[in-house]
Amino acid sequence: MTAGRLPSPASGALCDRRLEREEALAITYDVVRKAARDLYGWSLKKVPDDTLAALAEARQRESSDISRKTLDFMQAAARAAEREDRHACSDAGFPTYFIRIGTRLTLDGDIRRAFVDGFADLVETIQPPILKFITHPLTLERGYAGRDMPILSFDVLDGAEYMEITCSPKALGSGRWAALKVFSYPKIAEIEEYFMQCVLEAGSQHCPPVVIGVGIGGSFDHAAKMAKRATLRQIGSVHDDPMIRDMEARLLTAVNRTGFGPMGTGGDTTALAVHVDYAHGHGFVPVAICFNCWINRRTSLRIDEDGTVTRLE
Amino acid sequence: MSSSPNDAGLPRLMLPLTRDQARRLCVGDLVMLDGTVAATAGFSTHERMIDALDGKGALPLDLRGGALFHMGSSCRQVDGRWLPNYVNPTTSTRFDAFMPRIIRELGVTSVGGKGGMGAACIAALKEAGCVYFAMPGGASPLLSEGVVERLETGWDDLIEQFRLSRFMLRDFGPVTVAIDAHGNSLYQTLQDQAAGRLPDILAEMEAARRPAGHTASSTAKE
Repeated sequence: MTAGRLPSPASGALCDRRLEREEALAITYDVVRKAARDLYGWSLKKVPDDTLAALAEARQRESSDISRKTLDFMQAAARAAEREDRHACSDAGFPTYFIRIGTRLTLDGDIRRAFVDGFADLVETIQPPILKFITHPLTLERGYAGRDMPILSFDVLDGAEYMEITCSPKALGSGRWAALKVFSYPKIAEIEEYFMQCVLEAGSQHCPPVVIGVGIGGSFDHAAKMAKRATLRQIGSVHDDPMIRDMEARLLTAVNRTGFGPMGTGGDTTALAVHVDYAHGHGFVPVAICFNCWINRRTSLRIDEDGTVTRLE
Repeated sequence: MSSSPNDAGLPRLMLPLTRDQARRLCVGDLVMLDGTVAATAGFSTHERMIDALDGKGALPLDLRGGALFHMGSSCRQVDGRWLPNYVNPTTSTRFDAFMPRIIRELGVTSVGGKGGMGAACIAALKEAGCVYFAMPGGASPLLSEGVVERLETGWDDLIEQFRLSRFMLRDFGPVTVAIDAHGNSLYQTLQDQAAGRLPDILAEMEAARRPAGHTASSTAKE
């Protein structure tokens, strides 16, 4: 499948060597297809370790008896899903993949198609089967495949000789509460007040305790992507900008002061984490906010240039 | 047996509830459920239910006086019985436009789901003598253990989780009485509480911002 790549006439010897290397070391359609299938499958049957740890920690802090019981039930259900190879939630949502490709890698084959086919493989093979969730936005008809499905987001890793893929399924329960507003020269107070409006609007309908992602600045599309990516960050990780670290702590405290609690049981734990990111932009400042429900489904793996696959979580 | 850590000693209720049973429940009660329940996760299913109430087509299952849960499900056939792969609640507020009529005109005595229901539904619950049970979302492995089998389905042209399905439950839960038949809603209470706290929360955020001195960025020049 490397035939489409033209050697440079100016440096034949170098090219030959590079071609040899490419024959030997390339990430193939087959490897990516299997990775796409596995990632989505794994994500449905395991609550990530950082999320389990955060639930356990929240259980220690929680002051409401019914909320503590709810957190116990959640943890027991999460452990059962992993132990018994069962779906954490009946709603498999749709898979979204974040793919970061090392610039020193060679790709061999149709990588975009590998994700479409890997998703189809999962639908065919997973036990118990998943239901139809892929919904046409206008006719509302449902199936197992569709336009732009799965949702792919590509980025590059400068100088890297590997590819990293993260899969995060998204469903209606928490997906429907995401919001974006474009401000003009906002004060931080306005941004944070808007955040709280969104938090109150969602109430306890997004299956809290949630992980909240906030993207500030850049452009309309970039803010949304930053918010989404922020939800994928490990709980407990810190932003490298102290101003954002402060904001994250402030927003998390504020969300948990609302008192919605786990699944709306009225406790101290409405969010496990608030992750914020920002980008420079112009005077207009898009603020995007999105939510992951408590199972916070997310898996990732790395594929090295020789095709070795390492599951990261 | 259930591996639920919560069910020890909780009151058990047989579905469908009588209207008196429904009226005796109070918001915040935690209970385990047995008995039969109709379930669907479908928007189109609710549209068809309303059509049926309007005399356009018939309901495939008798829902009168029954329990109706907003719950998706997947089942497999084993020796002629339909056993559950998994079930889980879906967001009930999606069906707010339909539920008041369904509750009133079919005399439903319990609704189940997650996320609660709107004001018009709460009024209908009160009038009809019906409660709303909240199920934990995302805890499918434990919740599914309380489903014995699927007894029947209607509107089989719809996808599996949208069909109107009747299930037999045993040791299902725990579920919370999140809206009772007297107009009390846990969701409304929590919303009111959060809205009431908001001015204080915003003031605390403002105070927390001040020492860091980060407000300068909001005065950036064009």
